[in-house]
Amino acid sequence: MRDLLLGLAFMLLGAVVLTVASQYPTMASLQYGPSLFPSLIGGGFLIGGLVLSATQLPTLKRQLSGTNANVGNFFDLRSVLVSLLPIALIIFYIFASEFLGAALCLAIIMFVLMLVRKTSLPLALLVSFVASLTIYFLFSRYLLIPLPEGLMNFWG
Amino acid sequence: MEAFLLGLQLVFNVETMLVIFAAAIFGVFVGAVPGLTATMAVALLVPITFYMDPTPAIAAIVTTSAMAIFAGDIPATYLNIPGTPSSAAYVADSHLLAHKGRARETLGMNLICSVFGGLFGTLVLVFVSPSLAEVALQFSSFEYFWLALLGLSCSIFISIGSRVKAFLSLMIGLLLSTVGLDMMSGAPRFTFGIPDLMGGINFIPVMIGMFALNELMLFYGSRNEGRELPSLSKDSVFKQAPKHIKAYWPNMIRGSSIGTLIGALPGAGADIAAWISYAVGKGRSKQKQAYGTGHIEGIVDASSANNSGISGAWVPALVFGIPGDSITAIVIGVLYMKGMNPGPTIFMDGTGLIYALFIVFFLANLIMLPIGYAAIKSAKVFILTPRKILMPIILCFCIVGAFSINNSITDVWIMLLIGFIASILARCDFPMAPAILGLVLGTTLENSFMSSMLKSNGDLLSFFSRPISAGLGALVILLWLSPLITMAYKKFKHNSQHKAPRIS
Repeated sequence: MRDLLLGLAFMLLGAVVLTVASQYPTMASLQYGPSLFPSLIGGGFLIGGLVLSATQLPTLKRQLSGTNANVGNFFDLRSVLVSLLPIALIIFYIFASEFLGAALCLAIIMFVLMLVRKTSLPLALLVSFVASLTIYFLFSRYLLIPLPEGLMNFWG
Repeated sequence: MEAFLLGLQLVFNVETMLVIFAAAIFGVFVGAVPGLTATMAVALLVPITFYMDPTPAIAAIVTTSAMAIFAGDIPATYLNIPGTPSSAAYVADSHLLAHKGRARETLGMNLICSVFGGLFGTLVLVFVSPSLAEVALQFSSFEYFWLALLGLSCSIFISIGSRVKAFLSLMIGLLLSTVGLDMMSGAPRFTFGIPDLMGGINFIPVMIGMFALNELMLFYGSRNEGRELPSLSKDSVFKQAPKHIKAYWPNMIRGSSIGTLIGALPGAGADIAAWISYAVGKGRSKQKQAYGTGHIEGIVDASSANNSGISGAWVPALVFGIPGDSITAIVIGVLYMKGMNPGPTIFMDGTGLIYALFIVFFLANLIMLPIGYAAIKSAKVFILTPRKILMPIILCFCIVGAFSINNSITDVWIMLLIGFIASILARCDFPMAPAILGLVLGTTLENSFMSSMLKSNGDLLSFFSRPISAGLGALVILLWLSPLITMAYKKFKHNSQHKAPRIS
């Protein structure tokens, strides 16, 4: 079932890529313009998606006449939501690091993720504090990456 | 002789030796931390090497890249996350062996093959580089097109599982490679008005997203601690090595040869060398079915190739000033910064620099043995740290690592989006490696095709007009037809077996 849906999604992506590619300019001096490779890739998505979906049709027929166990597994809401936590925390870093600073944001991210996995509070605090400062100073002082200082700037 | 002595003097001094040692430690650190690549390590070294003399500067780059390529095997083995793309070809085998309690044995073979491959590549660099470079010099865009296509085709045909899924994964990588300004017309493609995308998508945030963030999301999506960590194996690092070397020494030589040759060809670096060597090894092995199921032979093939590819990539870089891979592309920039023009004249100057470089290569590969051994022994740090502690730290490395490529938050967004898509695809058993290869080779494929068409006025048959190009083209077509040929052969064999009793 999920392969069927993915196949359809790839076909849709292929159609979008083909549409966008068709709008790229053509040049009289070039036989093959900037749209060639994107068009081939779009075509690849269409064909690949079609084959993927088509191979799933017999399975789908069987599933429609029986139980739909696969769908249940794929859309396990709790696991999907928890798996999205790293994504949410990265978005938090993107928007908060300029103000809070990279070190504090990294510490918060680590602390939250450790608590989610039921790490003991003192250990989570200690590791988050030490690891975030180590990463921050390693990258910003040693590797000279301009990580946002945020609140650390105020503290000097 | 005088130049050689000068070269020895340039290397065997306190400053250069300290730099080599520090670079080796740095290389292990970068390679062993998922999401930090050898290329990134070298790129980060450039501002530091700016303040060094030419010999220690080059020594730092050579040692870091060689160590990082080996150290990338450590997280690949224990965590199923390749530390660098060069370890991606055999990550499944390494991780499965770790689950069997043979992690140290696997890493020990990785180390031996890396040292062997590195020394083999260095010997080629020293003795055969002029003639090899002459062959590479004869290559034009026609040959590069086929070579890129061969690498991409290999990624589909050697993948485990559905080839349709591998193909779609490859298409994603190729699509990402088209983002940015078109080489011929300058038209922006898939940039959505974002200035940071005009220069294209850097493959490092994509790799971090695909291999690290994806793994993190799968870990947090699981109800328990996730997959079982490999038990703290107490197997010996080198005890089984003589047996494996005796059984697979031809694989070591073949892998090193393939790695050096592939590395010497521009655009094809250690990662492609590893993929191709793995594919060739699988094709020639008596235990084809065992590849991908925790088999040491494939590791020997690819692990020898990726380190020899590092040395091989320096051949065209030094002789012609053409980078063999992304690391040597950075090196060429460093050499120009130091006022040295890479090219044939570099072999003629009497300062001993070229000899110093050769000696540095030998030292970098030899120092890998003790430091690599210590790294394997201390790799338990990765295992002893529970994943619930390790994974949050890795996520922070991913964020900072992705940001540090261009000091741009856009790269963090790219990592995030790719990681999200990759986690969905990984749940549906899509292989990730073809996508990475598509991204890395996509530009080479398109640019070489466009250049060839400009040269030949759009005549597609020109891809078969040059002997080497025609040979490579035939090889690619043969590879594509291989499933049909195999099917036809099996059918023929089946039919002849059924006919045989009737005749008798």
